Amino acid sequence: MRTGTKQRVLTLLLLFFLVFSSLNAATYTGQEVMSEVYNRDSGDTMKANLIMSLTNSRGSIRERSIVQYRKDSEGIERKLMFFLAPSDVRNTSFLSFSYEDGRGDDQYIYLPALKRVKRIASDSKNDSFMGSDFTYDDMGTRHPDLDTHTYLRTETIDGYSVLVIESVPKDTAEYMRTLSWVVEGEWFGLKKEFYLPNGKLGKTLTIDTFSQIDDIWVITDMTMRNLEKNTSTRIQMDEVSFDLEIEDSFFSERQMKIGTRG
Amino acid sequence: MKFFTTLAKRPFLVLALILALTVVFVLSIAQNASLETDLNEYMPKTHPAFIASDEAENLFGIKDAILLVVEHPQSIYNTETLSKIEAITFALEQEFSEIETGGVTSLATADNIKSDDGFLEVQSFYEGLVEREEDLAQLKQEIESNSMIWGRNVSKDGTATLIIAELKEHTDSKALQAKLETWIQQWEGPERILVAGRPIVEASLAQLGPRDMAIMFPLVIITMIILLYLLLRSIRDTILNMIIVLFGTLLSFGAMTLFGVPIYAVDTMIPVMLIAIGVAYGIHMHNTIHYLMQEEANLSRKELAEKTLKQMTKPIIMTALTTAIGFLALMSSEVLPVRYFGLFAALGVLGEMVLALLLFPASIHLLGKPSYHHRGGVKNADQNSKSFARTQRLLVDHPLMIVIVSLSILLLGIWGTSMVWIDTSFLANFEKSSPIVQTDQLVNTKFGGTSTLNIILSSEHEGTMKEPKVLMAMESMQAELEAEAVVGNTLSLATFIKQMNLVMEENEEGKFSIPDSQELISQYLLLYEFSGDPKSLEKVVDYTYRAANITVQVKSDSSAVLSQLIDLIDSYRPFFASQGIEIGFAGSGYKAFVFSELLLEGQIISLIISFGIIVLLLALLFKNLWVGIIGIVPIALTAVVNFAVMGFLGIPLSSATALITSIAIGIGVDYAIHFLEHYANVRLEGMSGREASSDTFVHTGRAIVFNAIAVMGGFAILLFSVFPPNRQVGALIVLNMATSAIGTLTILVVLVKYLDRKGKFFPKSVNATKY
Repeated sequence: MRTGTKQRVLTLLLLFFLVFSSLNAATYTGQEVMSEVYNRDSGDTMKANLIMSLTNSRGSIRERSIVQYRKDSEGIERKLMFFLAPSDVRNTSFLSFSYEDGRGDDQYIYLPALKRVKRIASDSKNDSFMGSDFTYDDMGTRHPDLDTHTYLRTETIDGYSVLVIESVPKDTAEYMRTLSWVVEGEWFGLKKEFYLPNGKLGKTLTIDTFSQIDDIWVITDMTMRNLEKNTSTRIQMDEVSFDLEIEDSFFSERQMKIGTRG
Repeated sequence: MKFFTTLAKRPFLVLALILALTVVFVLSIAQNASLETDLNEYMPKTHPAFIASDEAENLFGIKDAILLVVEHPQSIYNTETLSKIEAITFALEQEFSEIETGGVTSLATADNIKSDDGFLEVQSFYEGLVEREEDLAQLKQEIESNSMIWGRNVSKDGTATLIIAELKEHTDSKALQAKLETWIQQWEGPERILVAGRPIVEASLAQLGPRDMAIMFPLVIITMIILLYLLLRSIRDTILNMIIVLFGTLLSFGAMTLFGVPIYAVDTMIPVMLIAIGVAYGIHMHNTIHYLMQEEANLSRKELAEKTLKQMTKPIIMTALTTAIGFLALMSSEVLPVRYFGLFAALGVLGEMVLALLLFPASIHLLGKPSYHHRGGVKNADQNSKSFARTQRLLVDHPLMIVIVSLSILLLGIWGTSMVWIDTSFLANFEKSSPIVQTDQLVNTKFGGTSTLNIILSSEHEGTMKEPKVLMAMESMQAELEAEAVVGNTLSLATFIKQMNLVMEENEEGKFSIPDSQELISQYLLLYEFSGDPKSLEKVVDYTYRAANITVQVKSDSSAVLSQLIDLIDSYRPFFASQGIEIGFAGSGYKAFVFSELLLEGQIISLIISFGIIVLLLALLFKNLWVGIIGIVPIALTAVVNFAVMGFLGIPLSSATALITSIAIGIGVDYAIHFLEHYANVRLEGMSGREASSDTFVHTGRAIVFNAIAVMGGFAILLFSVFPPNRQVGALIVLNMATSAIGTLTILVVLVKYLDRKGKFFPKSVNATKY
């Protein structure tokens, strides 16, 4: 009888635990997941080489090689990029400041053949990132508060538990709905789909390789395909390093003219 | 001949056959006839120029576009007009499925790149309401300082702007035009909204031509019926004549629909030709019957029918064959509709031939010998013959005069012919006062021009188009083109680079130029890709900078103008070749140009072929090359006079007018054949040369003159057409019938006499009495 009670309590406990843990898995709200993604540690500073391959609808490819420096501090994300190739645009540089408080970005470009820095006015984050199929938003700076997020389901991809989140922009936007596949616990995305107002799929982002560098997950190969225009952009990353000593003053017009270090 | 005599004895069978075939053709036409209005379907798609053009159109997204002009009596720089431009731009794209998505360009969609104090901005000129005076003034100033917009999309006087809508392929521009005409009304006032552009002109043309023909044609037929009755004085023969020509037309179109061939615009000329030709067969049959009845009043029905056929089978078959061969020569054309035209017109001619040979004898069997009522009875007819005989004597007695007159006409003709210019223009087909021409002129004065020529540069090597010397050559070619009064403006990668340089150099004096550093050009392009509108760049250069597209706005759609511009562009070939660059052309304006050249070339070739074949045929038929040569003298004269009149009156040689020349030849040779055949027959029957000449003149001359009067009278109606090209058709047919008839009855008479006297008319094997 006692053992019977004990067993019953154990069973109940076990049941309770199981129910609780399954509830626990589902307790992520879409909002929470996307905040985790936004706040994921991506290092305070970073340096990487980017190879950007743009393919147009006729299958022609343009390849650009860029070295990129990034520093996040005091609510400002600073980025400085130098073109390495093609050779006729070598040393062309691009500087940007994004502000967490929602101010518009500040962007500068330096053309070495003109020897002048120009400030670029950009009115929208939906603008294409360097003429590619990525927008500035896609490059990872869209604030989660701009959309309403809903958790849809959990899937398993390549052994990872992946949360599928639906995001609907609060303002009017080119894509009225996006679906993100986010790796649970690691908070990086594996895949994203962008839907047009007519319900059709407009763009897809696929992640082909990713790896952990200095304990930070880095996507080293991703491709954005624009299904409407039949174009695509692939970004590959290598020589990634984090937490370097980079002064704020490095992100300056002066440095743009000097060129990349090392 | 046996076939015709036997069949003609069973008139009911003949009637039943004709009726049955008529039913088949009418049903087939009613069920399957479809008018092909898509001009692309006319083009020889495998021609290298078309393949290259299609490729370039694909590469640079070159599309046919309609132009909407928004014109304000004072100035477009006011709140309401600017909002209206924006509203129309978006409504066009949303409400018309014929328009490409993202294919509408206007002031509301254009990007403005500007740079002040180191600040580079890429923005729309305006969005939403522009209300404040200073904003309006600033907008005006910005537009006027942007050479990519000012004078192109906005008129320099600030009163008008263009909205350009690119059309999807295979758009039914006729339907779209009709829809647009009512649609724009809602936007009018105080602004005027006008629709222009090549697709609209083509659509109007495709509608106007056949519609006008449909009105004019019954009038032509009625006039001809009246004339035929007055000339032939026989209801029966008039009806038979009309049955022949209408059946020929029916056969032609019936066969076309039975074989599933669509009806093309050129085919509107088929009835014109078949009537002119068919009436000749009927009149010659009538004439022979009439002649036989006068000569031998006591012939029985059977004898009359048989005798008629005996005399006429050979010349009618000969004339029909030469004409049909002339048409079949058109099958050498590279243009599909022209090939079909030749084939089915030839079929119609052969049908008319069979019918002429069957119907007249069959009518004698069925209805008895015809009775011809002449006003004033036999006396009048005699007088008629007498006046013909008098004329003949006058001619034969003054051969030198005839030769001199002919020679001077020939010389004058050659001089006039040298003034003929080749031109095909869609717009030239409209009255100067028509709204379509007026709108076109408005666009041409206020903007770059309604017609477009695309120059395509292509190289094997990536990046060639970014080289400064290549861009500078582009620029100087553009400058030379723009110096031509007919060229409104030009747009190319060089224009983009110049504008970019000006902006980046902060509008410094003299910086609207190509920098001589390849790096700087590449960096500008990179910057443009970043921040500008890459779509507009894709229209001037391909992704790998191997190929470039230079758009030339032309204020005329005349092929003569285009050909002149192409000559100018060709002078740049050596330089570009030294850079490994080839020059090509693209766009529907260019394709229409190549098309009309091909059409014309084909027709001229087929004219020459026809001449050759006719000489050969005549030589074979009369077993004498000399006869072949003199036989084509009247038609050669007709062709020269035809071209000379075109030269003097400034009627350009186009595919339509070239076709008329081939009718002239077809009919002219028929006259010659009838004349020569009759002459040879009566000579062999024992008449002297002088008697034979007189007899032929009276007999055949009458038929020729009747034929000419009936056809000329009928087609003279076309001179009252509202559609200028149809008027030209009418005028040239009247002219050609007259020259052919007069030529045959003057110079041919003299030449035959001369040849026969020299003993060269008949081959040695033939025993004819001495002249």
